[in-house]
Amino acid sequence: MSEQDFHPRIVAFCCNWCSYAGADLAGVSRLQMPTDFQVIRVMCSARVAPEWIIKTLSAGIDGVMVLGCHIGDCHYIAGNHRAAKRFALLKEMLGFVGIHPDRLRVDWVSASEGTKFQTIVTEFVERVRELGPTREFVTAHRRLDTD
Amino acid sequence: MNTPEVEIRERVRQLLDDDRLPGVLGLRAEHGHVGPHVFNSADDLTALVLEPRYGMALVCQAILDGSPKGRLGVVARGCDERALIEMAKLGQVDLARLVLIGLACSEQQARECMCTRPYPRRIDVGEKVAGVAPGDDARVQQLLAQDVQARLAFWQSEFNRCIKCYGCRNVCPVCICDACVLEEMCWVERGKIPPELPFHLIRAYHIADKCILCGACESACPVDIPLTTLYALSQARLKELFDYEPGLDVTQKSPLTTTLEETPLHEL
Amino acid sequence: MEQTRIGVFVCHCGSNIGGVVDVPAVVEYARALPNVVYAERNLYSCSEAGLSSLKQGIRAQRLNRVIVAACTPRTHEPLFKNACEEAGLNRYLFEFVNIREHCSWIHRKDKEQATEKAKRLIRMGVAKASLLEPQEETESNVIPAVLVIGGGIAGMTAALNLARQGFRAHLVEKQARLGGWLPHINRLCPTDEEAARLIDSVIREAQAHERIILHMPATVQEVSGYIGNFHVTVAEKEGKCTFDVGTIIVATGAEVLQPLGLYGYGRFPNVITQLELEERLRPPPSPSPVNDGGGKRWESTVFINCVGARIPERPYCSRVCCMTSLKNAIRLKKQNPAAQVYVLHRDLMTYGVEFERYYRRAMEAGVRFLRYDIERPPQVVGNGRAEAVVVWDTLRGQERRLPVDAVVLNAPLIPASDNATLSRLLKVPLAESGFFLEAHVKLRPVEFATDGVYVCGTARWPADVSESIAQAYAASAKAAIPMRAGAVTAEAITAFSVPERCMGCGTCVVTCPYQAIELRIANGGHVLSGTEGLQKQVAWVNVVQCKGCGSCVAACPSKAMQQRGFTDQQVLEMISVISGL
Repeated sequence: MSEQDFHPRIVAFCCNWCSYAGADLAGVSRLQMPTDFQVIRVMCSARVAPEWIIKTLSAGIDGVMVLGCHIGDCHYIAGNHRAAKRFALLKEMLGFVGIHPDRLRVDWVSASEGTKFQTIVTEFVERVRELGPTREFVTAHRRLDTD
Repeated sequence: MNTPEVEIRERVRQLLDDDRLPGVLGLRAEHGHVGPHVFNSADDLTALVLEPRYGMALVCQAILDGSPKGRLGVVARGCDERALIEMAKLGQVDLARLVLIGLACSEQQARECMCTRPYPRRIDVGEKVAGVAPGDDARVQQLLAQDVQARLAFWQSEFNRCIKCYGCRNVCPVCICDACVLEEMCWVERGKIPPELPFHLIRAYHIADKCILCGACESACPVDIPLTTLYALSQARLKELFDYEPGLDVTQKSPLTTTLEETPLHEL
Repeated sequence: MEQTRIGVFVCHCGSNIGGVVDVPAVVEYARALPNVVYAERNLYSCSEAGLSSLKQGIRAQRLNRVIVAACTPRTHEPLFKNACEEAGLNRYLFEFVNIREHCSWIHRKDKEQATEKAKRLIRMGVAKASLLEPQEETESNVIPAVLVIGGGIAGMTAALNLARQGFRAHLVEKQARLGGWLPHINRLCPTDEEAARLIDSVIREAQAHERIILHMPATVQEVSGYIGNFHVTVAEKEGKCTFDVGTIIVATGAEVLQPLGLYGYGRFPNVITQLELEERLRPPPSPSPVNDGGGKRWESTVFINCVGARIPERPYCSRVCCMTSLKNAIRLKKQNPAAQVYVLHRDLMTYGVEFERYYRRAMEAGVRFLRYDIERPPQVVGNGRAEAVVVWDTLRGQERRLPVDAVVLNAPLIPASDNATLSRLLKVPLAESGFFLEAHVKLRPVEFATDGVYVCGTARWPADVSESIAQAYAASAKAAIPMRAGAVTAEAITAFSVPERCMGCGTCVVTCPYQAIELRIANGGHVLSGTEGLQKQVAWVNVVQCKGCGSCVAACPSKAMQQRGFTDQQVLEMISVISGL
């Protein structure tokens, strides 16, 4: 599959108070972006379970974003602190088992940062396109069990 | 100079007779078989042995849970103590009910387990040895030298042998959940052998802030998956990112549960 | 078990969605999704007709789950949830799918892909909706008291409005006197009344009112809690003071930019700011009008507008400066009809009825207007003092040299320097400009997304006195709603623990930012984990304290802990329907 034909499947977990609002602002400002991502709303980036990321990247989704409030600005005081730490560790573990850590991007987007949302989403889609589909290694794994 | 075995027997006798402890958990040899046993009389102590290595933490928990009060002695190696400390952090054992006899491991034992800390905090019997340096594990070094693709291929071939016996989970002292997510359909599909990556990676993540590298999981695995290779790497990162080591201090909370002020995140 | 019957309502939003996304195709697609029994499209789902159609659809099709695919839930989710309730459906059986801000508006160039994405988003919404459960909301009380931060015209107006209605108002002002900027202002336009007269009466009333508790000078140190029950700590001269309120109003105002280095300000003594001119124009004991201390009356004055405003570093318009220029230009002309008074402007923001009329008055009074461009700003030249202003007159297409006795710089209002601190204390956001960010610029202009916290006056954007007063009335009216009702219902997105799965590890307890979780002995008789005779501790969530962040759920290893409306099963299902495997 050529890079052009590859439409990566990407999920972006956005927190209600900051990054989801930032994504809305990007929409209001009509900032254009690639179509290859879907936003899933959560109340706080702390809700994003690392187990979701593990399942997501093992299930054929090619890239995951976790976007929360800037450190210090979390609506729930320090939810994003937990998110920062959990995903710092998870990223390392993904690298150890052979899932490229760049497939997980954790970033902070405030309610007024529509442009930043556009920039990082566009960047991430491009990066995931470079990395290629996860489908290949998931199905390769399955193929082994029929041998 | 007494052997460690003799010294331990003496210690256990002291706890039973002088301190009136109702029982001490240790290993007993009978008819050529060795298994955990609660010694409650000094008369039985000639059967007490120290080998082979056997994880005591889960047995401690079972015994403590079985009686609502009362104290228990236990012959504990470094890994046993660290496991008990982690289990105490998770509300699964009450350390106040335990009296530990600290047993240090030999150089050879440390090498067998690739252990970096083959001694408890207080050593009652045995000589402290330095243990294996983190960089000595050849398998870990090999994995680190590989790129992402090669690592994927490595783990695919290893995990491919998994028969989902749950041995790794069952024997692990810090895997405390009776209702385990690895048995839930939404997390791990039922009836698939070998199970997919989430089976291994979810457990690895769950224990990442708790694992004391006792190696019981790898010993238990019937198909020899090198689990401690992955867990040793996670532990190394845990230390680098948060300056945190499980099992050393029961008052220390996991960095994944605290704020950045309480436990900062260091850049790698 | 009742069969799931999902209805999908796709909104065109005029051409906002319909112009990019193929809505009929999306409806067709939705109809075929699992558990969907009905799908329709609406021109404007939020209109009377759209809502009516929604309610009718629920009843006629016996729907037990509803999806609206339209704009962002941050605008209209309450509207649709209410409509569901009116049609007899629990409001938590409703799911909003964003196909406007997150789809049609950001993928205008690729209609085909945008349509495919809209289908995917709806497919995810349907997957989640299938797993939604009805929920009941819990009530918590509201203390009938407000904290107003800022004692300017906006803050005092808001405090008085609420005090008159019978609520207690804690008014916290960081300076040693009330009034904000108005005591520094000479006259107000377009009425030309003296600012002092207006502000003095308000100050007197605020100080005298029995239900206004004044903390001055004082600053807010700590705020904890939530709507209905905020616990506030204020630092005053005598030490710390704590009190509880039900609502908070931010009226902290703005500061004025000091244009150091611009147009000779700071270098030439006769280059002053508009604010400094106001001080000079005020009646005694201020220095005598238009007297720069040298005994010379100003024969020629040049006002320069947009000083440090509407530039890349500060792109916004400060709204009030053009009118201030006109007001003071007219004033100078009145005092010395022979004087040359120029207003150098880029654009003139004299909107509405009164302001346009005022502009004409200025022209009639002989004030001269000259338009300059941002690329060729005026130059203030002189030796030791400003002697002339050289400017390219864009309308005449020639350079002009205007001799001056004084140059007055119109600098913008800028965000107050402690906005960032306050934003963190109250957990309310700042816009990119640094002013406070309201929940929605059109639909919710005087409140924050955080329940129970409101904003008015120049703390939000530059505003003039009448706008600040109007906003203060608006913010205080909104604050009165929960306080009058006496209770608020918390959204049922709280966490809950399934005791059979809980091991009492306490990880959730540590993770919760609100101490809303505790370990309790399991229900009597219910034995866990085969521990005969032993009582196991399990997690218990206080749903009034729980704010629904979900951190505990992510932390729980056995997933005994779940969050209503955001369960693991729901999210995993959403992901599986788009994973393509």
